[in-house]
Amino acid sequence: MMPQKRLMLIGIGWLAAFAFFTAEAKAVTKSSMTVMDSLGTLVEISLPVKKVVALNSDCLEALRILKADNLVVGVYSDIIRMPSFWKNLTHLPKVGRWNELDVEHIVNLEPNLVIAYGYNPSRFLEDRLKSFGISLLRLDFYKIDTLEREVTVLGQLLDRTNEAARFCDWHTKKREAIQGKRQKAPIRPRVYLEGYTDYQTVGNDTGSHEMCVLAGGKNIAADSSIPYPHVTPEWVVSENPDVIVKAVSSVNGYDLDNAGFFNRLREGVRERNTWRHIAAVASGRVHVMDGAISTGPRAIIGVAYMCRWLHPDLFKQIDPETMHKEYLEQFQDIPYQGHFVSDDLHEGKK
Amino acid sequence: MNKKTETLSRRYEAYIGRKAVFLVIAFLLLLAALFAGVCIGASGMNVSQVVFSLFHDTGREHDIVWMLRLPRVVMAALVGFGMGLSGTVFQAILRNPLASPFTLGVGSAAGFGAVCAIVFYDNGLQPHYVAAGAFVFALISAAFIITIAKIKHASSETMILTGIAQMFMFSSLTSLFQYMGTMQQVYNIVFWFFGSLSKAGWPEIGLASAMILLPFPVLLWRSWDLNLLSIGDESAQTLGVNVERLRMWGVAAASLATAGGICFTGVIGFVGLVAPHMTRMVIGNDHRFLLPASGIVGALLVVVADMLGRTLWAPQVIPVGIVTSFIGVPFFFYLLMKRSREYW
Repeated sequence: MMPQKRLMLIGIGWLAAFAFFTAEAKAVTKSSMTVMDSLGTLVEISLPVKKVVALNSDCLEALRILKADNLVVGVYSDIIRMPSFWKNLTHLPKVGRWNELDVEHIVNLEPNLVIAYGYNPSRFLEDRLKSFGISLLRLDFYKIDTLEREVTVLGQLLDRTNEAARFCDWHTKKREAIQGKRQKAPIRPRVYLEGYTDYQTVGNDTGSHEMCVLAGGKNIAADSSIPYPHVTPEWVVSENPDVIVKAVSSVNGYDLDNAGFFNRLREGVRERNTWRHIAAVASGRVHVMDGAISTGPRAIIGVAYMCRWLHPDLFKQIDPETMHKEYLEQFQDIPYQGHFVSDDLHEGKK
Repeated sequence: MNKKTETLSRRYEAYIGRKAVFLVIAFLLLLAALFAGVCIGASGMNVSQVVFSLFHDTGREHDIVWMLRLPRVVMAALVGFGMGLSGTVFQAILRNPLASPFTLGVGSAAGFGAVCAIVFYDNGLQPHYVAAGAFVFALISAAFIITIAKIKHASSETMILTGIAQMFMFSSLTSLFQYMGTMQQVYNIVFWFFGSLSKAGWPEIGLASAMILLPFPVLLWRSWDLNLLSIGDESAQTLGVNVERLRMWGVAAASLATAGGICFTGVIGFVGLVAPHMTRMVIGNDHRFLLPASGIVGALLVVVADMLGRTLWAPQVIPVGIVTSFIGVPFFFYLLMKRSREYW
């Protein structure tokens, strides 16, 4: 019995030592994490991340998806434009706007991590923050193709992998459902996508183009060599698109009581000189969409609306409003309200 | 003596004749450019189809010609004419070759008015707010200069200094509002400053032509006075010109012509500086001819610039303000180098 006891003790000792060293190794690997940002650059972030500053609405929405809004200690200043959407986050310290950041204020908040877009602000910020031991991570969260990867990366950094997986699962299901149905589309309608400025369209390598393709449409300006070209009204008439989708950013759709604003804009597009000759106008397929759902983490909802507009019969089962409700209630913890598109979803062709 | 008078008279007729010929040629070139502008477009209509659509209701083609192409080229010509005309007037009344509608801050004020409208009112539903803002502020700036000039007896130095101070003030205010604006508003502001003719329609042309063309006969009527002003304030005064009143009327009329154009199209500023110089290099400083000729050269410049902007990189449009500078500056340098003497 004695040798057996001794062997058992040795075994337990080994196991304890193994567990101790493994835990140590885990702690060592978890003191920092190297991740790839939206520009393809590897960035080392110190862990654990306890305080975060969000420099734009897309990353703030991503933080709320991960239920990590309690980690946010500073936000971009324009957040005050949408108080009902952002709720308590609007009361957090403001660190400046897209064109002018208060770096000293960011430093004073002592965050571990600052999140910004890939290309904005410029690279000067990394150097400034580095000297104070603050990491800057550039994640876009506005392209459907890369959204899931970016949410997963942020989830790992913030130890919110379950929340990230839950959202990615929801997003993947919606995206795959759309992609699956899209394959069955007999034709790809030609779409004129208008940006926030009149006669400004979108080329490829933009979020709106990506949405259009995902929804089974063909962007008539896809061959443009610049991302946001201005075109003449005559070019649009000569291209004769089947559908027109205009995005607007000048309104906060979440606070709207009705779709009157979008409808008036749609009428303005329909009434442009000679545009009555465009197939989209003649058949009533002119639609207006809030910028909040045409880009950012909610872009999949914009895609769903586009699917309904481009292929009303094929995507009859997809309900963008329900999808939006799910997103806001499950991933943003706010009630569904407001209006985000011109009021013609259920009318089909006018 | 009679023979000498006859020779002088013949030389004067030849002198006038050359200017008249230039005026006619420039006008014909403008007509040709307008016609070319109407014939060029994305729809791929050939010339005979365009001509046929001009006079027959062919449906889509007729609408394209009458509602898109014609308003565009007519607005381009009007704005160019207004800028050329007002540039000539500002250079004459201030007796300064660097003067343009922007020297006295009228352009900056119009820009600020547009920026206010973009930042506070432009949600896509009231497109005319931007034009109204630009127009109102251009006139406010002109009224301010006239008031200061009246108090300080309208010396050109006072007006230029007031204008430059105004220009900086409105530029600073524009920058402040740009700073306050969202990324989208800043984009709209930048694009407004590039100048665009895409929103030109007949109602806008009606308003713009009233504001640009109405001051023209008044200015032409005072062209002798403008000629006399070029020999100096005191000499002009001795010859019976009320210099103070002339300056104030000049500022008011030229500001109206400037505001009438740029409020609908955005800033196409370079034309106001260069068109008068180009014209002056060729036909001299006689304002009876210089005023209409500068207007026509300005119109020609903007119509050609718009045509190039629409076609060089189609379907993308290069903003007309950018193209105007691209084609105007080399041509201006060419004329400047070719001249063997001072022309101003």
